[in-house]
Amino acid sequence: MVLKTIRTATDKWAHKDGDYAFMFEPYDGDEVIALDCEMTDLDPQKAELVSIAAVKIKGTQVLTSDKLDIKLQKPESLTGDSIKIHRIRGVDLRGGEVLPDALEQLLQFIGNRPIMGYYIDYDITVLNRFIRPRFGFSLPNKTIELSHRYLTKVKRANPELQPDLHFETIAEKLGVPMVGQRHSALGDAITTALMYVRLLKGPVPTS
Amino acid sequence: MSNEFDLSHPPFDLLTTEEQQLLISRLDLGYFGQDEVIIDAGQVTESVYVVLKGAVVELDTKAKDTDPDGGVIREYAHEDLFGAISIINGSSRYTFKTLEETIAWLLPKEVFLGLMEANEAFAAYFQNTLAEKARLLEQRRSEKLGSGDMSSFMLAKVGSSVLREAVILQSGTTILEATRTMREQHSDCLLVQKGSQYGMVTRTDLLEGVVLQDMGLDSDICDLASYDLLTVQCDDFLFNALVLMTRHKIQRVVVFDHNKLAGLVELTDVLSFFSSQSHVIGLQIERASNLEELARAAKGTTELINGLVAQGVKVRFAMDLLAALNGRIIAKAYEQLVPEEIRKKTCLLVMGSEGRGEQVLKTDQDNALIIADDLDWDECSKVMEKFTSTLLDFGYPLCPGNIMVSNPEWVMRESEWRKTLNHWTSSVEGTGLMNLAIFVDAHAVAGDERLFSNLRDKLFQTLEGNEVFYSYFAMPLRRFSTPLTFFGGLKDSDGMDIKKGGIFPIVHGIRTMALQFKIKETNTFQRIEALVEKRVMKRKFADDLAEALAVLSTLRLQQQLKVANGQAAASEGNLVSAVGLNKLDRDLLREALHMVKEFKSRMSHRYHLER
Repeated sequence: MVLKTIRTATDKWAHKDGDYAFMFEPYDGDEVIALDCEMTDLDPQKAELVSIAAVKIKGTQVLTSDKLDIKLQKPESLTGDSIKIHRIRGVDLRGGEVLPDALEQLLQFIGNRPIMGYYIDYDITVLNRFIRPRFGFSLPNKTIELSHRYLTKVKRANPELQPDLHFETIAEKLGVPMVGQRHSALGDAITTALMYVRLLKGPVPTS
Repeated sequence: MSNEFDLSHPPFDLLTTEEQQLLISRLDLGYFGQDEVIIDAGQVTESVYVVLKGAVVELDTKAKDTDPDGGVIREYAHEDLFGAISIINGSSRYTFKTLEETIAWLLPKEVFLGLMEANEAFAAYFQNTLAEKARLLEQRRSEKLGSGDMSSFMLAKVGSSVLREAVILQSGTTILEATRTMREQHSDCLLVQKGSQYGMVTRTDLLEGVVLQDMGLDSDICDLASYDLLTVQCDDFLFNALVLMTRHKIQRVVVFDHNKLAGLVELTDVLSFFSSQSHVIGLQIERASNLEELARAAKGTTELINGLVAQGVKVRFAMDLLAALNGRIIAKAYEQLVPEEIRKKTCLLVMGSEGRGEQVLKTDQDNALIIADDLDWDECSKVMEKFTSTLLDFGYPLCPGNIMVSNPEWVMRESEWRKTLNHWTSSVEGTGLMNLAIFVDAHAVAGDERLFSNLRDKLFQTLEGNEVFYSYFAMPLRRFSTPLTFFGGLKDSDGMDIKKGGIFPIVHGIRTMALQFKIKETNTFQRIEALVEKRVMKRKFADDLAEALAVLSTLRLQQQLKVANGQAAASEGNLVSAVGLNKLDRDLLREALHMVKEFKSRMSHRYHLER
């Protein structure tokens, strides 16, 4: 956290007159971005982006009409080994124009709104790996971790409980239906968003 | 269950592909907590809502305390749409509140109005009332089945179709005068008023009176008239008059307009009005002089019912007609096989759904015989075997539970029956109560009906005030759950047993109440009616319950016809899937099941079933 704060302060200073200064403005609206990325690897240092989806949440409404759903070209030539060897170059080649465009769209869409997701730090870490080399900053946005929100609420209601934090389990406990295909970025982003608004409003599951 | 927005059901299937794409791109999702007001009465709505998960109730908050349902107008669950009418009217008349946490798709008002403007059919869907929608659906259904419009057939009322003016004479009129009047009026039949009572005299009566009974021409026609007249009301369906005439083998019924005599309806007129095959079968049955001819008539009934239902005749009426025809066929077969002097001392009962008059296709034989104590009949078992196999030839399958006259357990002397019934009522174990439930639906079709009514009246008497018995008797109501979640959504979209979950609870609950309140009718609809007359049940609730039973029976019949046509497996005769139904049928089904649930909880309370 401290590291992020210092880094963000430095980035803000560096971009104070740049195109992305809006990213560093304090946010005072009531919108949140639900974000989910599909990736090729569980290691954030190796993972490649397959798709990025983001949905705006306003109050307790999930604005599925105002969303971002980008599928990136798959690095077909990139096998597990070639990723090891050609990591940097491979990304450049494959991304070509598509990845920077995608990131540009994402930044414009998110703006300075808080970002919410399930294990969101992982998604942010991977995104920053690609954003920083191109834009010269890391995402400065406040983040909201869904599983943490859930854990806090459950623990507050029943400190004895060790809740299962699997995605499907949380959704089931909260009574939120899986929207779209599981493991499609957009479907997961919407489901996560529904879980988030559900936690804002509904009663806490006690078992 | 897909959580994608479903475009495949009305009204969204009325949109073009482009319009559907526009709609999908503009949808949002809203989350609402429990008991949250989504639209308040008088409020302007900004969206149309389609429930993805959860339940919403539409409430008239003003009627909350006066209405027995707490002001509930409607409930909405998965895939149901609300808010459209509020948008069309400018503001909402009622309050929409969640019953539980709810997630709903939100379609912005301007998109909805745009679609209504662009698409006429889509707009019409929202402008029609539900009744109109149901009627359109009914029409489309019968069109699909490829037959003409039967509404004239079905909707003809007695008063406005073939009503004849009655020729009424006062008591004291002589046979001579009466005959002269008949000739002048070209009438076959006249009514004679004796005090406040009416009697009927036909040409045959006059002829037989003079020739066979040696009455003088100056005798009073009062002595010739028959006074046990069957009557219908002016606003009854003509179809019901036909059923009545078939059941009682009569040619005329007297028509009343409330308490006032309105006229007569004659069989020949009804026949020429309908000119359908239904009465042809009735006549075939009456004229059959041997079993072969009777078998031919019996085989026509299934086809007749199929035809009637396909033509859009309401299942309830079809069931009535079939019950009347089956009753006559069975009675006639009995007459053919059993000599008259024996018939006078026995009573043949039909039971189960046949006894209630609620079978639609040919159902299993469920019958029993009461023999007077003073009759010795050696050939009884042989004749009864023959009777059962004859009915089998006619197309009535054997009863899998062996509840038939070929089984000696169901052929008993009056005194044995009395003992058995006592045994059944005093035991609280399953078989006895089940047999009793079958017997309670019994209906005498041939022989001396008094043998049966004596037994039944004794049964009513024995059980009077025995609260513990009714509690046990009603217990099977708890055996099958009615597939509803708390709020009224359909729980299992894969299919549900509509007989266990819907029809049985109503039939058995009403049967229990009928037993308790000594109601002699066996048909569930008539029992409900009788319960209203005895002020045991409120009119509105009774009407809804009867409608629910009609809806469930119709859905079941549709499924059974599918089985009969080989479109579904034989084991799925009672299985109705919510998925296979269109939206309106599903709405009806949900509301019907909701009624069942409500009824079950009332029964639980009444008979203390929660233990």
